[in-house]
Amino acid sequence: MQALSEWFTELLADNTIFTAQTLGYYGSGLVTTVQLVFLSLIIGLVLAVPLAIGRSSQRRWIRTPIFLYTYVFRGTPLLIQLYLIYYGVVFFDGIQETWLWVLLEEPFVPALIAFTLNTAAYTTEIFRGAIKATPRGEIEAARAYGMSRRLMMRRIILPSAFRRALPAYGNEVIFMLHASAIASVVTIMDLTGAARFIYARYYAPFDAFLFVAAIYLCLTFAILYLFRYLEKRLLAHLKPLEQ
Amino acid sequence: MAATPLPLEVRNITKRFGETEVLKGLSLQAHKGDVITLIGASGSGKSTFLRCMNLLEQPNEGELLVHGEEIQFKQTRHGREPADWNQVVRMRAKLSMVFQSFNLWAHMTLLENVIEAPVHVLGKSKKEAIEHARALLERVGLADRADYYPAQMSGGQQQRGAIARALAMDPEVMLFDEPTSALDPELVGDVLKVMRDLADEGRTMIVVTHEMAFARDVSTQVLYLHQGIVEEAGPPAEVLDTPRSERLKQFLAPKH
Amino acid sequence: MIDLHGYGPRLAEGALVTVEVAVLSLVLSVILGLLTASAKMSRSWFLHRLGTLYTTVIRGIPDLVLMLLLFFGGQMGVNVITDWLYYQFDIDIFININEFVAGVLTIGLIFGAYMGETFRGAFLAVEYGQIEAARAYGMNHWLVFKRVRFPQMMRHALPGLSNNWMVLLKTTALVSVIGLSDMVRIASEASKSTREPFTFMLLVGAVYLAIASVSEWGFARLQKRYSVGFGEAD
Repeated sequence: MQALSEWFTELLADNTIFTAQTLGYYGSGLVTTVQLVFLSLIIGLVLAVPLAIGRSSQRRWIRTPIFLYTYVFRGTPLLIQLYLIYYGVVFFDGIQETWLWVLLEEPFVPALIAFTLNTAAYTTEIFRGAIKATPRGEIEAARAYGMSRRLMMRRIILPSAFRRALPAYGNEVIFMLHASAIASVVTIMDLTGAARFIYARYYAPFDAFLFVAAIYLCLTFAILYLFRYLEKRLLAHLKPLEQ
Repeated sequence: MAATPLPLEVRNITKRFGETEVLKGLSLQAHKGDVITLIGASGSGKSTFLRCMNLLEQPNEGELLVHGEEIQFKQTRHGREPADWNQVVRMRAKLSMVFQSFNLWAHMTLLENVIEAPVHVLGKSKKEAIEHARALLERVGLADRADYYPAQMSGGQQQRGAIARALAMDPEVMLFDEPTSALDPELVGDVLKVMRDLADEGRTMIVVTHEMAFARDVSTQVLYLHQGIVEEAGPPAEVLDTPRSERLKQFLAPKH
Repeated sequence: MIDLHGYGPRLAEGALVTVEVAVLSLVLSVILGLLTASAKMSRSWFLHRLGTLYTTVIRGIPDLVLMLLLFFGGQMGVNVITDWLYYQFDIDIFININEFVAGVLTIGLIFGAYMGETFRGAFLAVEYGQIEAARAYGMNHWLVFKRVRFPQMMRHALPGLSNNWMVLLKTTALVSVIGLSDMVRIASEASKSTREPFTFMLLVGAVYLAIASVSEWGFARLQKRYSVGFGEAD
């Protein structure tokens, strides 16, 4: 342990950029990125379930507004959505005087709102596709056994749709991680924000950005393996046994 | 009318898909313990008829009585629909269907499939349902497959599992929609054996099938359907051994 | 009519920049994608590994980080090379990695990786019998590619291609971050100076949706053309 820490100190002593202080910036950037991505994914997921059910509804007045929402949020760049909410909040007359300002003053909250709305739109469509792909026979069996619509949704359609959605949702999680880099545009010190700060300070683009790229790469692989593990466990029922 | 109501009675069912009339006024009375077999060429309407009995298809006209209770209908913009879906749900719980393609729920183990509707539709306790389910799986010879997922079983096993699922509802009438048509020939025998046992036990069954030997040996009544009407009906010995119409003779003739 | 406070012409110019970046990146990504697909399908161990490394690494890094790296680091890297050329061989060239070049290079590089996967899947989906038949009639390698493999591959690749293009189009918004005056940057400037973010951001969003809808229509037509003889377009 002693040797390791000595080795580490020496390594840091050799360069001017990766000091304990800059590593601290990266560290807190990592925390911000993870918070932002994790929170928006969780809230987005909770929103997406009822939205996906509504999106699959036979009633047009339920289906159409949800479709418009997902169409607009999936069809426009996240950056625009971020700007819209960030500037929209800042330039909203009178908001500075209300209690909401305590929350909205930090760019974190507008960014969280934008990311959440964005991922909720994508996740809604992922779930809708999975709901639509429920085998007809399984729904028919549920009807034939006297299940009401609500019960069928809860017991048959959603549990099997969630499993089917898993691979696509894994991609969405990675997409959100990568998309979160634009939080730095509205002055949030996330991972990319930290890298930009360090670049500006030392004018060392390779050190600053390659390092952060490596961190993102590791995070991406961690998510990838997590989902592979989940798929293995939760999609086991679809694989025939080896004879 | 008999003192005890019939498990299932169907009167004058018609069904149209667009312009084509596939069922032209079909009726059927199932007494307790009856095994009624529906035979006929593909396109004769026999499966549609069966699916009208638990309203998986909505008949355009006709009446439907389950255990003496008549299903109420109303006219809407989209045609005739059940007036009270709760009544339909109640009625479906009394008729359980076995499908051609099994339709076991893929994300549940076999045991979970069998207890699903008893627990969540009939409101049985889970413990009781599991006990009953295990006994039923034993009966259909799948006791050792309780924790398998449908994709991990052969077609014949899946279909026997589906029959256990149907039995778990303690149904008044069991509806079988070509239960052996999707199976490899060597797997048909096990499924038919389970069905014969059920018939011997006095279950009320309505079976759409191509298995003539089964129809002859097991059924109390055979209905031959052609183009949406019952062309001949009666005890199997009468219908299958001394067919009157030329069409039925041809239908029954050994195929090469 | 909405009041654009005189930003109309600049927004139109910005929209043109967006389309230019998108189309040039698309061309670059298709070329890179075809190269990657052939590398990944090649029998050479090295090329196969190279292709895999490229697609894995690119898809693991955020677009913005890659763009910042190329924009800020690219000039430095190019300068090192040109300086070396000058001192060693007295060759004096100047390559300017400006916002436009960096943007197109980055987006092309990123989507080259995605296109590579799309094309590889599509090539593998062409039935081997089709290729065998072409060989049996004496077609050479190039002819087989041009007359049979490519047109049949396109049918399988088009849905993925169209999908990649839709994502690529939205990714162009990132060039505003490195300072290129695309429509997002102009709209952002306008939002700040007029304090009317809704007007400008919603307008730009609508332009993106319009471009997407037009391309969707175009891809549907292409799909129809490449599906000739295959019944319904899938």
